[in-house]
Amino acid sequence: MEIDLDQLRELMTALQEFDVDELELERGDEKILMRRGGAAGTVMAAPYPMAAGPATIAAPAPAPGPSVAPEPEGDYITSPFVGTFYRSPKPDAASFVDAGQDFATGQTLCIVEAMKLMNEIEAEFAGTVLEVLVDNGKPVEYGDRLFRVEKK
Amino acid sequence: MAFQKVLIANRGEIALRVIRACRELGLRTVAVHSTADEQALHVRLADEAVCIGPPPATDSYLNIPQLIAAAEVTGAEAVHPGYGFLSENAEFAEICAQCGLTFVGPKPEHMGMWGDKVRARALAKSLGLPLMEGSAVLEDEGHAIQEADRIGYPVMLKASGGGGGRGMKICRNAEQLEAAFPQARAEAVAGFKNPDLFIERFVEEPRHIEFRVLCDGEGGVWVLGERECSIQRRHQKLVEEAPSVAVDDALRRATARTIGKAMRETGYVSAGTLEFLMDETGNLAFLEMNTRIQVEHPVTEEITGVDLVMEQLRIARGEGASLEPMEDDLVPLEGWAIEVRVNAEDPETFAPWPGLIEELHVPGGPGVRVDGGIYAGFRVPGAYDSLLMKIIAMGPDRATALRRLQRAVDETLLVGIRTNLPLHRRILAHPDFASGALSTRFLSRLD
Repeated sequence: MEIDLDQLRELMTALQEFDVDELELERGDEKILMRRGGAAGTVMAAPYPMAAGPATIAAPAPAPGPSVAPEPEGDYITSPFVGTFYRSPKPDAASFVDAGQDFATGQTLCIVEAMKLMNEIEAEFAGTVLEVLVDNGKPVEYGDRLFRVEKK
Repeated sequence: MAFQKVLIANRGEIALRVIRACRELGLRTVAVHSTADEQALHVRLADEAVCIGPPPATDSYLNIPQLIAAAEVTGAEAVHPGYGFLSENAEFAEICAQCGLTFVGPKPEHMGMWGDKVRARALAKSLGLPLMEGSAVLEDEGHAIQEADRIGYPVMLKASGGGGGRGMKICRNAEQLEAAFPQARAEAVAGFKNPDLFIERFVEEPRHIEFRVLCDGEGGVWVLGERECSIQRRHQKLVEEAPSVAVDDALRRATARTIGKAMRETGYVSAGTLEFLMDETGNLAFLEMNTRIQVEHPVTEEITGVDLVMEQLRIARGEGASLEPMEDDLVPLEGWAIEVRVNAEDPETFAPWPGLIEELHVPGGPGVRVDGGIYAGFRVPGAYDSLLMKIIAMGPDRATALRRLQRAVDETLLVGIRTNLPLHRRILAHPDFASGALSTRFLSRLD
């Protein structure tokens, strides 16, 4: 790939500046995937360590500019509530869906457990799973991205 | 009981206040927030933060299942509700208990007994708290006039089913009362599906006086003196102070004794506030009890040296309060403290004014405390109440505290949104404020 370290640095700065979480570059059979702040959706720890103190709190990042650094292709299925993310109905059972798999409207994609209730998250449209964004058994927040998908 | 991790079911300055107390006690904290509050200070200063929903409070800060789920996924063992939102919701306290979470506050039954105005009034009467002179449910106009003659005009004609200022009419003589009665009855039937009317003595220029109390649930009661919160706009307090120029030691001590007895009899736990109206001759009449920490708690903290939030947490952890028993349950008061609430609103029209805080300088120096939830670069969301921060000034006497507060308000620099700071300057500079001639009508007379 023709990208050098300086260009990478520039891209990283751009990610931050435009508040973009993920950037995927593909050229021929080479691919670079950049993601900010670790895997999306699993960040439950304090986003700003106390040691940093309020004095270091930066202004919120500016809104993403138009047509710069596009989001990775596809749509996202996000968590409708706070809970624990499970990919399968039981620990030893197969996953509801895997990357590359097609799903139909109304099909269960995962479980978000809250208050001892296993809430099955169903697809509101048909599509293909491009990527599973959260590890099994990890806590998720409201609005966390669970799957990157392609609508049919 | 002895929890280590506390979820704070609130936002803004009170969430910060609880985080601070937890940190000083060595407890871990979990902030919750809506998508509108991702950049809020409480989210940034807590040990952990969980997004619980979209901006509307009903979908986030009032969403009980989401709050419980957030406690579950983070392993929080206790919930501090702050003020507002779910702080006086007995059902929420009940659900917390069922889920094995310690609710930092009173028991659900206390919220129930004080939350209902009619029941609270009956309870207050049985506990010997002073009440505004009034009638029982009135049969007709003749009965009303008879009762008004006994009580003395002016009287307030009220609907039993009303509340929050609705269904109330001031009557200054028998003709007005006779004319208002059928109209009020028709409105009570239409508005509250309850035809019952009663009258109460109407005080033209009342002061709002409240007593702060802390109870450990095991017989330990501490009355932390009174506060005066007469500077209000539409029942919204703007300036609060402790103590009050209108309360002398004899009244304070007698009220503390009555409250101490009432709290023991009802087995109250945690912090609470009993609100009273004071008439022109200095008599108190019970209004209601708030079963939570209040916005204006810092003025009490500053004249008693008691950290109320920390004591709430200690009591909830089963450690008990860190206070010694006091004579008449009254904690000694020292000095004077005055607080102004800085709101994001137009100082003339009171219209809410959300937006970006471009620059911020908070006041400091001797005797000044600021409890806030904002910073330069923070965008104040429009979805919640407009309180930005509280500026509290202390001094050995009222005059010193007032001068310090004026100085602190003048020092405050807040650029980007409109605030009520100009209004506070006018209130604090008013000769009636300086002399302590306060009443809940103060603000309406300001122009």
